[in-house]
Amino acid sequence: MVTIKELEHLAVLSRIQLTDEDKVSLVKEFDSILGYIDQLKKVDVDMDGSSRVGAVKNVMREDVASSSEIVGSADFAATKGETRERLLDEAPDREGDFVAVKKIIAQDIKL
Amino acid sequence: MKIDIKKLDIAKAHEHLIKGDFTSVELTQTYIDEIKRVNGDINAYLEVFDDAIESAGSADKEIAEARSAGESTLLGLSQLIGIPCGIKDNILVKGHIASASSKMLEGYHATYDATVISKLKAAGAVILGRTNMDEFAMGGSTENSAYGVTKNPYDISRVAGGSSGGSAAAVAMDGALFTLGSDTGGSIRQPASFCGVVGLKPTYGAVSRYGVMAMGSSLDQIGPIGKTVTDCEIIFNVIHGKDRKDGTTIDEKTYENGDASAKPIIGVPRHFLNGDGIDPAVIENFNASLETFKKKGYEIRDIELPNVSYSLMVYYIVMPAEVSANMARFDGMRFGLHKDGKNGIEDYFLSRRAGLGREVIRRILLGTYVLSSGYYDAYYNRANAVRCMITEDFYKAFQTVDVIVTPTTPSPAFKIGEKTSDPMAMYLEDIFTVTANLTGMPAISVPCGFAPKDKSLGREVDLPLGLQITARHADEKTLFKVGKDLLGEL
Repeated sequence: MVTIKELEHLAVLSRIQLTDEDKVSLVKEFDSILGYIDQLKKVDVDMDGSSRVGAVKNVMREDVASSSEIVGSADFAATKGETRERLLDEAPDREGDFVAVKKIIAQDIKL
Repeated sequence: MKIDIKKLDIAKAHEHLIKGDFTSVELTQTYIDEIKRVNGDINAYLEVFDDAIESAGSADKEIAEARSAGESTLLGLSQLIGIPCGIKDNILVKGHIASASSKMLEGYHATYDATVISKLKAAGAVILGRTNMDEFAMGGSTENSAYGVTKNPYDISRVAGGSSGGSAAAVAMDGALFTLGSDTGGSIRQPASFCGVVGLKPTYGAVSRYGVMAMGSSLDQIGPIGKTVTDCEIIFNVIHGKDRKDGTTIDEKTYENGDASAKPIIGVPRHFLNGDGIDPAVIENFNASLETFKKKGYEIRDIELPNVSYSLMVYYIVMPAEVSANMARFDGMRFGLHKDGKNGIEDYFLSRRAGLGREVIRRILLGTYVLSSGYYDAYYNRANAVRCMITEDFYKAFQTVDVIVTPTTPSPAFKIGEKTSDPMAMYLEDIFTVTANLTGMPAISVPCGFAPKDKSLGREVDLPLGLQITARHADEKTLFKVGKDLLGEL
């Protein structure tokens, strides 16, 4: 039900590299899973949904501005630097206070 | 006094700590020793934290101070003070590794505490370490962990269940007084059932998910696993509540429930229990539980949930769709594993391939498929419509009953490797549990006996079974009441 070509497209969209072996077994697994969930297509369902009440309850609040707990706290200045360090420490590569990544644009563009 | 952890639960341990029969340091050390003794076989813990004894010491200090301040201060202490617990590896504990049992986050250190962790710490609970799980909570057996399978303490040739398999096994092997897990389609209740312990999936929004790695955002909830229903209630009372850091959290006024009748009326969806693949021992045990309820004076009514048989199909559309969105954050750039490619886009492909396991990749691709142009209406929109129909079935049923009971799982714990080659067989494990995630209603699994050993079925020992009780939104108290009554805790 899913072709190798479709699967390759999904892998590109999901940014995941697949080997040829992966593709063969995934096509088989997709068939079995889609075969099961496709039964849903037979259910008589009102797709308009205007009469539906089953959704979980929405929660509203007053739209009032308030400062965040951290920003409002006295030790904000002290924790700000520490939090930034903790976050940057987890990055695979950094330059100073920035997360370093490869250049996205291959060559300079003349405007 | 000598600590016998087999006989302890939170309520009893608390009493001993308050009386000074033993200290939290002694209690914590006893658990650490027990983990050292048995974890090699079970693999429930990925790591025991080196600061556990230190936090136990702080708890002891607080207890001592309260003691000298007088009885009312002492009695005012949280029941969790000094109580050792384990935490599922997808919940952030500041400064400690949180890997979600994935290679992607092998060396990742949590940069802040999840709200549930802040609450546990404020109550004085002692965090022993992080427990094993299916990678990013995707699986029903903890076989998808990048760090080895967790084995069932009752029979180590069998799975502990999943995805919170480490959390359930940790309690069952006396490696903690309680643990936290997460439940997207049964990941607390199914392993609790397999390991003979109690597991609660609270109402959607009852417990903050801030600092917990998202899997299916319209389904995920955090909940406790413990030895008794009373223990789970104690933990739930500490961790639940509105949190401004999680916009989906609810408060006491969100749902209006009257007090359930003195003897809650029990509903049974008989038509849902006749499917193929349900172990006869499970049905027999389930009927015995109903008899117990009858003897205790409960009224039992047959109910109809006309669309409930579609639950699993809906779940395996909605969940992968949400997974594919949530897993997009793992880009190999901001945190986690990085594999270097020729350019930025190749970094993505290589990092995600190297960091993510098979089941995670399968669900990302499946989710991308059901959300893609041309399929969106046929799958995702239709699944959401049927999800509402299922929820309406439950609303209707709850007009005549107060709780709904089913077995937690269609069979007792299965053999390691039995279902790994067939994802669909593994997915069918969730048949009874996914409905509570789809409807957002609270559900608890309580141990209700055993599937007797039977050599002809390869069952070498008696294996635990669980009974699942579901209640109306925000009506955890009725779950606790009925669960306690069944287990004789009242």
